[in-house]
Amino acid sequence: MRTLIQFSGMNKFSISLLFFLCLAAVSPWVYAQDNASVQKMLTITQAAMCEGIKDYAPQNSAVVFSIAIGKVFCFTSFNPVPRNMYIYHRWYRSDRLITTKRLSLKTPEWSTFSTIQLREADKGPWRVEIKDNNGKIIKIVRFSITD
Amino acid sequence: MSAFFTQLASIRWQDIIDILVVSYFLFRLYVLFRGTYVFRVITGIVFLWIFQRIAAYLGLIVTTWAMQGIIAFAAIIIIIVFRNEIKNVLQAKDVGAILWGVSHKAFLAPEEIITSSVYTLAQKKIGALLVLPAKDDLQEVAQGGIPWRGVISKEMILSIFWPDNPAHDGAAIISGKRIAEVGAILPLSRRSDLPSSYGTRHRAALGLSEKTDALIIIVSEETGHVMAAKNGEITEVNDNLELQKILQKHSGVSADDRGARQGENLKLGLAAAVLIIFVTGIWFSFSRGLETLVSLEVPIEYQNRDPGMELLGSSLNAVKVHLSGAGALIRSIKPEQVKVRVSLSKAVVGLNSFTITQENISLPPGVILKKVEPQVVDVTLDIPIKKELPIQVDWIGKLADHLILESAEVDPARVSIIGGSKILEQISTIYTEKVPLDNINRSGRLSVNLALNPASLKVDQASNSKVTIAYVAKRREKMMME
Repeated sequence: MRTLIQFSGMNKFSISLLFFLCLAAVSPWVYAQDNASVQKMLTITQAAMCEGIKDYAPQNSAVVFSIAIGKVFCFTSFNPVPRNMYIYHRWYRSDRLITTKRLSLKTPEWSTFSTIQLREADKGPWRVEIKDNNGKIIKIVRFSITD
Repeated sequence: MSAFFTQLASIRWQDIIDILVVSYFLFRLYVLFRGTYVFRVITGIVFLWIFQRIAAYLGLIVTTWAMQGIIAFAAIIIIIVFRNEIKNVLQAKDVGAILWGVSHKAFLAPEEIITSSVYTLAQKKIGALLVLPAKDDLQEVAQGGIPWRGVISKEMILSIFWPDNPAHDGAAIISGKRIAEVGAILPLSRRSDLPSSYGTRHRAALGLSEKTDALIIIVSEETGHVMAAKNGEITEVNDNLELQKILQKHSGVSADDRGARQGENLKLGLAAAVLIIFVTGIWFSFSRGLETLVSLEVPIEYQNRDPGMELLGSSLNAVKVHLSGAGALIRSIKPEQVKVRVSLSKAVVGLNSFTITQENISLPPGVILKKVEPQVVDVTLDIPIKKELPIQVDWIGKLADHLILESAEVDPARVSIIGGSKILEQISTIYTEKVPLDNINRSGRLSVNLALNPASLKVDQASNSKVTIAYVAKRREKMMME
């Protein structure tokens, strides 16, 4: 009884302070859980190099593209997209970063693509690294540009 | 002066042998031909050669050319004119006598018998001509002699020159302990300054002494005077003791023979020393005067590398080394004799710059480093690590227009690569060798090698450097763009 009396005797300020302290202690864990859930939930369903896009789908997906077609596309599709966010298509030619494209994703599912114009000097092995907004590689798509 | 000491320090053991061999050769020539006309002519040629060198040094073109001609001509003259002397030397029964023997005078006649005989003849005023050869061959000079080959004795000498003896007019040639020939006719001297009292015997004695190194004893029939002719000079001999001394001196076995031998040895030693100095001088004049330059492309050898590190690359594989030295030395240099070594003992991971100095270059003795090009070499070292990397096909060529290469699966998809950490840091993909598309017309499989670039990369033993590509080719669909 004495304890109860003492507890009930605590003033409002002390209770408020205790609440905020608890909140501060658990907030990083809550934030981490939130991030983990985003990454866990953002799922790539398709990543392909193609010659074009039709009806939100890649056309003539391939691993080799002639320089004669003039353009090459990197098509990516995500489902689900937990929240509106950005992803990055990083284009490399023989381990050398050529360009980075920032693409937006919208909930609940989204398809997007990036493209580059082909020149004579672009012949060789390429790859596109698809990264999330934390810089984590989600997928790598490899292809070659030839005659 | 410092250049002289530099050159002195750079003398090789081959140079010392070179000098000694030539010196010994000249010394042998001196020993074999001393006292002969050949030696005198050779000495003259040597002086001509020195004169020619001086003329060449001073840039006297015509003089140099003339001297060269005379020297070449003189060499031929020596061989023709002194063929007998040369033949005598080379026909020596003992090869050792040519190569290392020091022959003293060949004359071995018993001087006392000759002295006694000569003065008996003088007392009786019986004319006589005794020839005591030394080293020169008299066969060509003294002619018409009757072979005698009798052991020398006073009686025999007296009987030879006895007026009724048919051979008493000529000269008796004494060879060793024997009288070789009698009645020999000697060449007469053509000198016009001789006293009128000199008869044919005197002229003959003088004539032979002018042409050979023989000693000729003359007993005058008119006066009974005894005279000795040698080396183109004729002198009166006053008494038997003087004659004995002359004979002993000629034979080289005088009473104070030991002292004479010592004197002769001293003379030979001096000659040897002079020849060594002379040849050394010539060697220096050659090695200094004919300085030649040469440039060699020498590969760099990297040494003392930390075993834990790997040499990934260097800005240079070879340097150009400019060398100078005596022409003969430079011409004999073989590229493998020149080494450029760079020690990597202090090298660190990453880029290291080294300056190539004299210390890095090893040269044959006598060769001087003039310049190294370039002087700085950059070396990249790294610690080898193992990294697993994905493999990507490197397609080339042109795929048929109606086809699409839909997919290409590489088996294995990854490979373990060993290489420098700095290099592998920059690499995220290993490519196959170039795979041509031109022959592809349907799906299939290919086996290809990996292309490792840079070449310092290696495939881990656990991995395979060959991969299989399973590719899918399909017909191209007509494309409708969005």
